[in-house]
Amino acid sequence: MPPANKSPASLRGANPAPSVKRQRSLALEPPPAAKRESPRATPVTRLWLCIHLSALPLESLRRDNTSFARTGFDNLNDLRGENVAWAVFDEQDGIRKVLLANREAESAGIRPGFSVNAALALLPVLELEQRDLQCEQRTLLSLAGWAEQFTSFVAIEAPTVLLLELAGSMRLFTGLQKLRQTISEGLGEQGFSAALAIAPTPLAATWLAKAGRRVCIQDTANLGSALGDLPLTCLGWPSAVYESLYGMGISRIGDCLRLPRQGFAKRFGAGRLLELDRAVGRLPDPRVSYRTPEHFVSDYELEEELRDSELILNACRVLLQKLEQFLLIRQLAVQRIDVNFFHLQHPATSLPLGCVQPDRAVKHWFELLRIRFEGLLLPAPVIAIRLQAGQGQPASAGTDVLQFSKKDRRRQSLSIAHLIERLGARIGDDLVHGVSTVAEHRPQYAWRPELALSGLPQRAAAPALWKVRRPLWMLAHPEPLAVRDGHPLYQGVLVLEDGPERLETGWWDEDGIARDYFIAVNSRGVRLWVYRNRNKDNGWYLHGIFG
Amino acid sequence: MNDALHQLLQNPRIWRGTDQAEAPGWQGLASGYPRLDRHLPGGGWPQHALTEILLEHYGSGELKLLMPALARLSQAGDSDAHEPGNEPCHKSCNPEAGWIAWIAPPFEPYPPALVQWGVNLSRVLIVRPKKASETLWAAEQALSSGNCAAVLLWSEMLDDSASRRLQLAAEKGQSWAIAFRSLGALSQASAAALRIKVTAGCNGTDLGILKSRGGQPAVIHDYAAT
Repeated sequence: MPPANKSPASLRGANPAPSVKRQRSLALEPPPAAKRESPRATPVTRLWLCIHLSALPLESLRRDNTSFARTGFDNLNDLRGENVAWAVFDEQDGIRKVLLANREAESAGIRPGFSVNAALALLPVLELEQRDLQCEQRTLLSLAGWAEQFTSFVAIEAPTVLLLELAGSMRLFTGLQKLRQTISEGLGEQGFSAALAIAPTPLAATWLAKAGRRVCIQDTANLGSALGDLPLTCLGWPSAVYESLYGMGISRIGDCLRLPRQGFAKRFGAGRLLELDRAVGRLPDPRVSYRTPEHFVSDYELEEELRDSELILNACRVLLQKLEQFLLIRQLAVQRIDVNFFHLQHPATSLPLGCVQPDRAVKHWFELLRIRFEGLLLPAPVIAIRLQAGQGQPASAGTDVLQFSKKDRRRQSLSIAHLIERLGARIGDDLVHGVSTVAEHRPQYAWRPELALSGLPQRAAAPALWKVRRPLWMLAHPEPLAVRDGHPLYQGVLVLEDGPERLETGWWDEDGIARDYFIAVNSRGVRLWVYRNRNKDNGWYLHGIFG
Repeated sequence: MNDALHQLLQNPRIWRGTDQAEAPGWQGLASGYPRLDRHLPGGGWPQHALTEILLEHYGSGELKLLMPALARLSQAGDSDAHEPGNEPCHKSCNPEAGWIAWIAPPFEPYPPALVQWGVNLSRVLIVRPKKASETLWAAEQALSSGNCAAVLLWSEMLDDSASRRLQLAAEKGQSWAIAFRSLGALSQASAAALRIKVTAGCNGTDLGILKSRGGQPAVIHDYAAT
């Protein structure tokens, strides 16, 4: 295995993170630190791609609006086609300032930092929207989820930076350049303008991307020179630090690196020196890997309140398609989903859906949803829809049988699980069931409804009991019979053919019986299973029909 | 034969039931009652078609009539795998075994009795629609799905067009549809391949074959007797 593919655990084992004490000593004596690092310098163990989304406040808002309005269109084309000048503003100390402006607005002369009033004076048709940090966060998270297809290690550096570890993915994607190109094109298709930079350390990649250098550095030895001429602003330090550095005549990162380490740490804090050390690869820089949650939640906000069930169902289909994508990437399937319909004036209507076997196919879930939706009474028009999926389970591919014999030619357009779900969705899940027997002498407890498809092998219930014939039809509740001259009546006088079969007790669950069962025939030739209560009223009851 | 009559019979618009009886082209599903089988074309129940059973009241012996055939279908899904009989076959799920759907039964089908008749309980599906209209829908779904070897349904809403739909669904899903109806349906037209009237008498149950595609009407007294 090439060293590039070493797992993070083994790397950490080889170079344990130094303690705080050690860091201080390193900070004081740079040459030994460099010496210590030298054997590791040649083989590159990590490669970080930084995605810096400089226009995220702008793009996340526009994307949010357009993707709901017209899904399926290329958002970038939408942006270009609309030709509307607009900008995002931010409120600081009560002053509203333009944070970012789109191309149309910039060509009209609007620049970030303008006050909102000045911008409007310059361009009265300018559309303005307030910055939405939550929306940005959501967009960043969804992008991180998207980036998980390229690498197993995605780190989110709020507010606008994603870090992807690429060393482990190079072989699969046949080379770094191709991988980088794929990522860049993917971002472009989603309507994001991003600066990409690749470096062996995460901080270096971030700084390079923030400075807009589209470089690809694979060797730690080249880091110092690549970082050297970056302006200090890309470090993201407080302005007070910059001012004092500018006062010392230092405007580039390279100048910083040349400063005496001891003095630098004293003036600006050991933390800043640590950052510089981490950036040039002198010290390890562990990151937290982001994992998308395994629960799927997605909303669809409608532009206006809808009553039309076809339109609502179409919106649901879009959500189901998202769910399928989500599950497909993870090779999962779900057994339960919840669809919530939100109304303006009423509490939300919830529509839980379940299926017998985990599934992810849009077609299948949509079919179930449609059947259930037909029977659903919505109290008010729908304004938004939320789809929540239950715990995902590993999807298992079913095996099909090759069709040879004539019997196999039975056309199975639908698996039994799907049939049961479909019936359950329309009629009610508890009204579609299988049955099984229970080893129990009381006739009413000798069976129970069973979840269909449980596939339980038959229990060998007390065989001795079943030597006596049992009726095919049972009444859910025994029916009292009229009695004439000591003979029970049911559509005529009953003649007792066989019996009695005495069934008794059940003290353990307080439903004891004491009955004598008979097989009786009425005047029309119908065979019945009747019993006489021995303890309570001594009355006759009809319990079954032999059918 | 009279020449004029012969000419008339040559007319393609005239269809004679007896023509088919000689070579039904399909194998019937043995009912387990040899005396009944003898009267059915193909030597048994018409598979992949609708059978109607008309009865005056439940318990006339209508379930007993079907049990041997249903037991075999649920055990193997194959018509010649097992001998018919009352021996319960404790075979666990055979993937080939067909499902038996009971749609809107008037009472509880009693599992211990089903086991006594040899029905594989893991292939029994009970559906209890709340509305009468759902009964036919559920039956059609079950029939056309291709999973159910037999679908039993109890419905009073089965008119001519509904029976035609069920017949088509049974053909599509290659399933055996059995509809139980009251005697009042005698006068109604039906697309069923087989219509049987079941009447309980003091000396066993009598069967009357009213309509049989490719067969002839017949009356069988006490069908269970050997």
